[in-house]
Amino acid sequence: MTIKYKTIKEIKKMISQKEISHKEIIQDVYKLVKENVNLNAFITLNEEKSLKKAENFDNNPSDSSLAGIPIAQKDLFCTKGLRTTCGSRILDNFIPPYTATVIENLENAGCISVGKTNMDEFAMGSSNETSYFGNVHNPWGDNLVPGGSSGGSASAIAAGIVPAASGTDTGGSIRQPASLCGITGIKPTYGRISRWGMIAFASSLDQAGPMARTVEDCALLLNEMCSHDIKDTTSLDNEIPNFEDNLNNSLKGKKIGVVKDLDLSSLDKDVIEVYENSLKEFISMGAELVDVSLPNLALSVPTYYVVAPAECSSNLSRFDGVKFGRRSKDPKSLEELYVQTRSEGFGDEVKRRILIGSYVLSAGYYDAYYKKAQQVRRLIKQDFDKAFLSVDVIMTPTTRGPAFDIGSKGSDPIQMYLEDLFTISANLAGLPAMSLPNGNIDNKPIGLQIIGNFLDESSILNFGHMYQTKTNWHMFSPEGVIQ
Amino acid sequence: MDKKTVTTISYLSRLKIDPEEEEKITSDLENIIKFVDQLNDAETSDIEPLTNPLEKTAKTRTDQVTAKNLKKELLEIGPSSNEDYFLVPRVVE
Amino acid sequence: MSWETVIGLEIHAQLSTKSKLFSGGSTKFGAESNTHVDLVDMGLPGVLPVANKEAFYKAIKFGLATGAHINQISSFDRKNYFYPDLPKGYQITQMTKPIVEKGSIKVSTENGEKIINITRAHLEEDAGKSIHDLFEGETGVDLNRAGTPLLEIVSEPEISSAKEAVAYFKAIRQLVTFLDICDGNMAQGSMRCDVNVSIKKIDSKELGTRAELKNINSFKFIEKAINFEIERQISVIESGESVVQETRLYDSDKNETRSMRSKEEANDYRYFPCPDLLPVVISDKELNEIKDNLPELPEEKQKRYISEIGLESSEAKIISSSKAMADMFEEASKKTDDAKMTAKWLVGDISALLNKENIEIDESKLSPENFGKLIERISDNTISGKIAKSVLEEVWENGNDVDEIIKAKGLIQIQDESLLEQIATQVLNSNPDQVAAYRSGKDKLFGFFVGQVMKETQGKANPKSVNEILKKILS
Repeated sequence: MTIKYKTIKEIKKMISQKEISHKEIIQDVYKLVKENVNLNAFITLNEEKSLKKAENFDNNPSDSSLAGIPIAQKDLFCTKGLRTTCGSRILDNFIPPYTATVIENLENAGCISVGKTNMDEFAMGSSNETSYFGNVHNPWGDNLVPGGSSGGSASAIAAGIVPAASGTDTGGSIRQPASLCGITGIKPTYGRISRWGMIAFASSLDQAGPMARTVEDCALLLNEMCSHDIKDTTSLDNEIPNFEDNLNNSLKGKKIGVVKDLDLSSLDKDVIEVYENSLKEFISMGAELVDVSLPNLALSVPTYYVVAPAECSSNLSRFDGVKFGRRSKDPKSLEELYVQTRSEGFGDEVKRRILIGSYVLSAGYYDAYYKKAQQVRRLIKQDFDKAFLSVDVIMTPTTRGPAFDIGSKGSDPIQMYLEDLFTISANLAGLPAMSLPNGNIDNKPIGLQIIGNFLDESSILNFGHMYQTKTNWHMFSPEGVIQ
Repeated sequence: MDKKTVTTISYLSRLKIDPEEEEKITSDLENIIKFVDQLNDAETSDIEPLTNPLEKTAKTRTDQVTAKNLKKELLEIGPSSNEDYFLVPRVVE
Repeated sequence: MSWETVIGLEIHAQLSTKSKLFSGGSTKFGAESNTHVDLVDMGLPGVLPVANKEAFYKAIKFGLATGAHINQISSFDRKNYFYPDLPKGYQITQMTKPIVEKGSIKVSTENGEKIINITRAHLEEDAGKSIHDLFEGETGVDLNRAGTPLLEIVSEPEISSAKEAVAYFKAIRQLVTFLDICDGNMAQGSMRCDVNVSIKKIDSKELGTRAELKNINSFKFIEKAINFEIERQISVIESGESVVQETRLYDSDKNETRSMRSKEEANDYRYFPCPDLLPVVISDKELNEIKDNLPELPEEKQKRYISEIGLESSEAKIISSSKAMADMFEEASKKTDDAKMTAKWLVGDISALLNKENIEIDESKLSPENFGKLIERISDNTISGKIAKSVLEEVWENGNDVDEIIKAKGLIQIQDESLLEQIATQVLNSNPDQVAAYRSGKDKLFGFFVGQVMKETQGKANPKSVNEILKKILS
């Protein structure tokens, strides 16, 4: 009896029907971790505590919604007493005395955090190649990147090690790896999930979210992850619906926005075909396609690469070797302490973005870059506001193609930045967006992106779930279709 | 983006750039800046900057002391500290 | 050639909130190092600031009291720089939308009253403390103070002398203490200031280049630092060089300012809106509530003391000059019907004692209750004014209860008329010659008889009644 490739729903059933004990589940997880150690999906494991929790559930069964469900946590969430590195050397010895609100929410619902997953350093990357702890590999091909920055989480789910994982998404870091690993992932509306205890990359863009095999499971996880947190003044106090409620609503007459200014010509024709096939699928379920215009969409990547570095250059100033984290060996002076610690502690991509951020914020450039970008950002949001007057959701491919080879993007950062072309705009506008598997290209999965209106996760979950009732792309694993 | 600018921003960022990397980093930064220069295509006069997608106002705290004394815990996290202070190389004022 | 001085002050006043500006850490002064540090004050990864509403209310009080404009929507920005006692690598402050703008305050200077305009007053978080002299080769960092709310009060460059700068600082200190938004304690660093000094030729329009003198925390040093700096700039210019815009540190031991340029090198704070904090809104309701509950300010007190209590304007001025004085007066007056006498003693004997020891009244052992009691005992004739002085001296020494002292020393005034008559008669009998002389017109001797009686009673007789009795007997 194994939980490999099982969904949360399925594992809950196995538990309720006594087919497997809580302890066996966790033991199986660590067996699978060890079988897949080559994926390098985990930075730190939490075996002892997890087994203890499982035993507790066996001894006194709990009826909380996710009791005993194993979950992998992105190593960007602070976990009390459990090392939290954010994929960086500068935190390789950091053990927080506090736990992120979203992790607490999941654990209070019964989830067992089996380990901390590998990621691009400080979530800055789209291929997991920037982690201090080494590449994560994609179960779909040993030389393939899993995407990033939540690559460890995506890889662990795709390999069937865990049914679910937490991720964070600043410019596509949940959706892009979900697409490249053939799983489902959601970035909720900015503010739905507390950012407290989540190590900040770009505070006005960062949002945590669930990653799993199915839309249903994501809904289940969202129900527990979302909360209004008084410790985060950017966390929303709007009513949180039960995200499972509308999963099965009919799509008849619902409107799908198709972005007419989106130039797909640069994309592989297979990618376009996969995308158009899924649109047809929705039409067959009664939905209608409506052209929407997002004239400033093309500017979302440059906008992002001003705003995100600006915020990160400031957010990462606290990593200075004074109060926590790594400090360079016996510095002679304070200046040396700062410079050595940060130069040894940060990788190239992080350094690059800190430098860009310092530049666009510095005297004389602020208006031309930072202010300008935040103005364009408003234009992008206004485009979406207008579009959502006439549609329920907007669909695009999640990525420009399936998983690429490790190292293949070469040393030109901009090539890597363009990976996020379709995903970034949802972060700039704070909108909920999801990626779910909608095809395979030479046995490599690829995803469809569904963007929803502000606070309207329910619609994207509805569209996504209905799609998964009609198709089985989410049932594909590297070992073939899951029975 | 010239060497002088790179020196200034690396000083502001407290990052050391090794001479052998300098060429590459300077050109990377230059390309990125060129890339984001596309923003100038957008007409943004009289557009308010959007600094946070939530166009809301903040919730605030009432004035209460809620923190516990974490002295021991926090000093232990410190890379260099004694029983009372975090320590750094002597700063001369 | 003659020069004109142009001075602007940036005063940092610690707001007397219980908790910090963005965390639930305590702001109590003098705690053991690093014991008042919340996760947020420590700047740990992933923690987030939540603004303390009370800090806004206190800032608004200041704004209203200086007739300033209150920005009901104000926002926070980040000021980025590295320093060991700045845990996050940036300070959260209000750059673009400060809570208070465009106020003014009346300052009494050598040449009369002067209005000094206040450009802005904004909220920001204080840094921790770096201790440089405690450890060999190392600096210790104490984060207790990190995150304490500060109100930075920025004046227009309208101050024209060191003395005027001090007067302005004193006026601000008087105001914030009366408003009860800052304890005004300079020794504990509750109020500090940076001074911008420049000089220009008299009648020249444009300002000269300014130097900023950092972190001065006593009236004495403000005056000395400014005067030194003025001289320095004059000699720089008159020797044909020009003043550089820079930050200078005042060294009180050497009484000189010296350049900190080394540390300023290529500094650029890269201010930008803090993405963790949404704008804070103050509702009309909140604003009106604060307006309605503004405490009485010195000028109003002074007027009331004169019109309602009937104090001399000189007395009213002295008593309303400091919160501590005014509180002592108003509290003590509750204990006695004789507010006027209370005032007389306060500006008389008590002020004398304060000046002698050069302390504030709230630093003395004299409690308002005890003081009120003392006045009451005088006005109900329990003790004479003369005795009262000696009682006050003892209270001043050890703070003992007035009634205890009077009882213990048996100082109660003799009210018993017949007893006084006996004593008076004795005195007259034992001085027959003087009596004769008096009767034959030497009126001056009356005082002698009074003195003798007081001597017999060790001053416990009420002089008034002694006069009456003697007159009666001698007539």
